[in-house]
Amino acid sequence: MENEFKLVPLLILVLFLGVSFMVGVASRTRKGEYYPVSAHAVGRIGIGAAIASNWMSAASFLGIAGIFYLKGYFALAYVIGWTGGYVLLLVLLACQIRRFGKYSAPEFVEARYDSPVARFISAVITIIISLIYCVAQYKGIGLIFAWIFGIDYTGALLLGVGVIFAYLAISGSLGATRNQQLHYAVLLLTFLVPLMALSAKLGYGSLLPQFGYGAALSEVNRLSGAEVAAPWASATPYEWVALCFTLMVGTAGLPHVLSRFYTLPNIRVARWSVVWGIFFIGLLYWSAPAFATFAKLLQLRGEMPIDAAAAHQIADVIVIKAAEWGGVSPWLVGILAVGGIMAAFGTITSMLISGAGAFSHDIYYRILNPEASERQRMKVAKGATLVLAVLVVLAAVNPPGLIAEITAVAFALAGNTLFPVFLLGIWWDRTNKYGAIAGMTLGIAITFAALVFGSICPLLHAWLPPTSSALIGAPLVIMVMIIVSLLTPPPSDAIRRHLAEKVHSP
Amino acid sequence: MSSPEFNRPPSPQDYRVNFFRPKAGFMRSEVIYIWIALIAWALLTFGFQFLIYSGQADVNGSGPLTSRTIFSFPFEYWFTGQFLIVWFILICFLFNLMVDRLTERYRQRKEQ
Repeated sequence: MENEFKLVPLLILVLFLGVSFMVGVASRTRKGEYYPVSAHAVGRIGIGAAIASNWMSAASFLGIAGIFYLKGYFALAYVIGWTGGYVLLLVLLACQIRRFGKYSAPEFVEARYDSPVARFISAVITIIISLIYCVAQYKGIGLIFAWIFGIDYTGALLLGVGVIFAYLAISGSLGATRNQQLHYAVLLLTFLVPLMALSAKLGYGSLLPQFGYGAALSEVNRLSGAEVAAPWASATPYEWVALCFTLMVGTAGLPHVLSRFYTLPNIRVARWSVVWGIFFIGLLYWSAPAFATFAKLLQLRGEMPIDAAAAHQIADVIVIKAAEWGGVSPWLVGILAVGGIMAAFGTITSMLISGAGAFSHDIYYRILNPEASERQRMKVAKGATLVLAVLVVLAAVNPPGLIAEITAVAFALAGNTLFPVFLLGIWWDRTNKYGAIAGMTLGIAITFAALVFGSICPLLHAWLPPTSSALIGAPLVIMVMIIVSLLTPPPSDAIRRHLAEKVHSP
Repeated sequence: MSSPEFNRPPSPQDYRVNFFRPKAGFMRSEVIYIWIALIAWALLTFGFQFLIYSGQADVNGSGPLTSRTIFSFPFEYWFTGQFLIVWFILICFLFNLMVDRLTERYRQRKEQ
């Protein structure tokens, strides 16, 4: 049963890839896929859907349910962190960064701090974030391909990555673009329709499973004993708050989220599209815990006792397991699995583009070889994509944690480095390059402190867990940036004037 | 302390930008809205967790807030997992309305 080849999901996968390929070819432009081509035509709701589709990764599609399945209330720190971060982004940064007028995180850093060194560090950070983010996506792809083909994880990982790169190479050479709105619609429907079917099958109503699963959750709590469901049963309040805060500041500092705002037609549209973006993301996040709840309920009802190690093994595909156990039609289970692949797929594309772009533009062109031609830079970008992709495979063969946990480390890095640099760069004219360089270096050290020195100093794991280091890290980095900036000369008048007159005026 | 700032002749333009000391006018009103939004954001997100913590009967956090149900959800699950997202959307919606009005007002003043 477990290791058999499943034809239906494979057919659906081929169908989905074919359709999105044809839509991409039909709507191709000469601009390339870095810019949301249709931004001028689709309006706020469409841009909101594009924000959400850019956001939805395997961590949203598979990871949240997996964590909820294992840790209950603790998983809500992910749900809240990944939505509440947009509030921070909107009120503190979105408009100002849009008015500043630079198109990527390293470009902003160089323009604001007037320092190639700061630009180099921020480019390295962007690349590391892309790598970590992609490892989580690859894990999702490996798990689903293993499920479809009935083969072991490593083989499935290589197969899945091969399929994706073949697809990217073909669509790239034909200039196909990705339609963000279609992508979002696919993700939402492939997630919700199977959930509705599952909810109806179990008797919790088909139309609004987001509300229906409440009764199921209460029943799970009753059957499994209250201590499993209690808020701090699997993590302390400090761990909850630290994780939630980290994901929020990380969201506001992620390069690929910020770069969404640079390309929008005007600031008003940018602001309002955030509201729609949170709503569209919320639609998925209201629903994700339902899968995990139904899976738990089916286990408790069917008396399928499952030990901790086995539960950990299947947590990241619990969305698919829930549908399978619940007896939902194989077609719908297949659609759900393919939705997971599409989510990972979209994120890998945009992450590799932003990572390779940071290397070819910000490191190679700006620092290593300023005379490089457009052709040479393209070559380097393609080479960098390939190198990044291989590096990620090496890391993903032995995934260091659950999908959501791996992704959270990328957020911690963004929250400890880019968020302070953006926040102070926008809201305090006195911040200078020395502050930025010191802050980003310290931020990198804080993020990886527990991973590197955790074995020597176990306290680091308690106070700066790799997934949640920004509750202490971000304020510390901000403080260091302020102190270092005050001890060194202020930035030039031109930069401060740009801030006061362009960035902070109506 | 002789920082270059103090030695410079008073410039006709003031380029200071400081979140805690915003310049009067557009920036000050905007910063007030930002403060309101941030307080609303932090109060319900982290304040609610503190409420569970301060009212808990055991270390796992069970207490008066968790024994209640709403829409057949355990109350704390519903509040954090579902209501807070609605709350975030509401904050962003109201913030945008206020900033829209503010921008409108200052743009008109600029044109006059």
